[in-house]
Amino acid sequence: MNHPMNGTAAVSGLGMTEMGRVYRSTVDLASEAVYLAIDDAGIDKSELDGLLINSGITRGLDLHLHVALGLQELNLLTFMQGYGSSAGQMIQYAAMAVANGLATNVACVFADAPLVEGQRTGASYSGGRRFGGDALSSLQGLYGFTGAIPMFAMAAQRHMDLFGTTRDQLGQIAVSQRAWAGLNERATKREPITLSEYHDSPWVVEPFHVLDCCLVSNGAICVIVTSAEQARDGQQPPVYIRGFAQGHRHDTGQAVSDSAIRGPGSRSASRALAMADASLGEVTQCQLYDCYTYTVLVTLEDYGFCEKGEGGAFVEDGRLGPGGALPTNTGGGELSSYYMWGMTPVSEAVIQGRGQAGERQSSNDLIICSGNGGMLNYHSTVVLSPETAS
Amino acid sequence: MSQSEDESWLPKPSSRTAPFFEAASEGKLRLQCCDDCGTWTFPYRERCQHCGSRSIVWRDASGRGTLYSHGLLRRAYHPRHEDRLPIVLAQVDVAEGVRLSTNLVDVALDAVKVGMEVEVAFESLPDGGIIPVFRPVTD
Repeated sequence: MNHPMNGTAAVSGLGMTEMGRVYRSTVDLASEAVYLAIDDAGIDKSELDGLLINSGITRGLDLHLHVALGLQELNLLTFMQGYGSSAGQMIQYAAMAVANGLATNVACVFADAPLVEGQRTGASYSGGRRFGGDALSSLQGLYGFTGAIPMFAMAAQRHMDLFGTTRDQLGQIAVSQRAWAGLNERATKREPITLSEYHDSPWVVEPFHVLDCCLVSNGAICVIVTSAEQARDGQQPPVYIRGFAQGHRHDTGQAVSDSAIRGPGSRSASRALAMADASLGEVTQCQLYDCYTYTVLVTLEDYGFCEKGEGGAFVEDGRLGPGGALPTNTGGGELSSYYMWGMTPVSEAVIQGRGQAGERQSSNDLIICSGNGGMLNYHSTVVLSPETAS
Repeated sequence: MSQSEDESWLPKPSSRTAPFFEAASEGKLRLQCCDDCGTWTFPYRERCQHCGSRSIVWRDASGRGTLYSHGLLRRAYHPRHEDRLPIVLAQVDVAEGVRLSTNLVDVALDAVKVGMEVEVAFESLPDGGIIPVFRPVTD
């Protein structure tokens, strides 16, 4: 039986600002992304009656964004935070809102500006703020647990110790994605890299080199979600929202959970595919949240593209890259194109779903798109397709 | 390094977390434990995350555990890191069932392996503070 939300809503608009060292406020960036998305969708600002807002590490956006946009007749408005799973979540709530008549055109917007003039790249992510307050958590800074990198690096190391996953295999993810980035004019890092250059890039926390870690970018992305009927009459090819789900778990600090190896993505993906009435084998491309190379590997396993522990072998032949059997992160991803949290995979999925990816266009029959927040704690999945449900 | 000279390395314990640091100065690893269901917890909570009881007490842990995972810190983010890189970052599953983020010391880098048995050790900081770290089991 067809799920009532399978193909009921669609993405009709996409707005992307310039990304990278763009020294503008998050509010200005977010506003521009919304206006670009409205133009892209071919609607008038007065037709925008829903706004979902998510901001990144700098917390630069709040509910007041609608004031900057001069939106006075909204039927739906909220600020959301699910970290890296937020973008997928916004699309889900927007789809349910338009399907149930709460709103007609819902803008889902993310903006962040962690790059500050004269400040080193990672400063916003490694500031002392996260360790303030309680002495027990401040202690983590003494040990060297600053930001997210140490925890993800150790998760990858556990995978390597348990399953024999190699540094070459992690590196191949970075190499494959950089090859895609070369085909994406929006990508920040486009020069191809070799495995040897990957190994030569500086260590951050072993087993992670700099090239295992995502970029830091300023910018904003907005997508507009509307009903399938409206989207068919739109200016752009509709990209139907075929399935979606979330999976969340809190790492309780108890030694029983193997949280480094298994994330909540398996639950999220299987339910999203069930809504889309599709199987994993029908997926033609992946847009996976890739804060680190390892995040891609563990998500592929959690989603079931290969068995747990076999992710390294799965990616090492270049399967994810241009010409590979499972095109993944075809815009270069967060590792090489731009880091807009969950909007990085979402935006590329929309471009691919429309068939507008130019040289990097891949088979787009069924696109699976993931969002990850925290240390594999918060997960969202969205299944997109240019074809509506049969 | 942004931390000023006069700033203490050891975070200031509050009345809630003082037992942890007092125990460290006595050479003990002291963690919270639920007096009703026996679930151990870290970091500080006033209610048991397993059964919801408020009967949380501080209790000395065995100090033994196994290595859940590890990484090698290659950049200094704190004055303590300078002149001693690389530092072995470690997650240790202590016998009582809590996973601690800590450092592994007194170990050859190529001997660090998931699952190895470790025990608590104590490091004195220049400001007089003492923090628990872990080292391979020697006996």
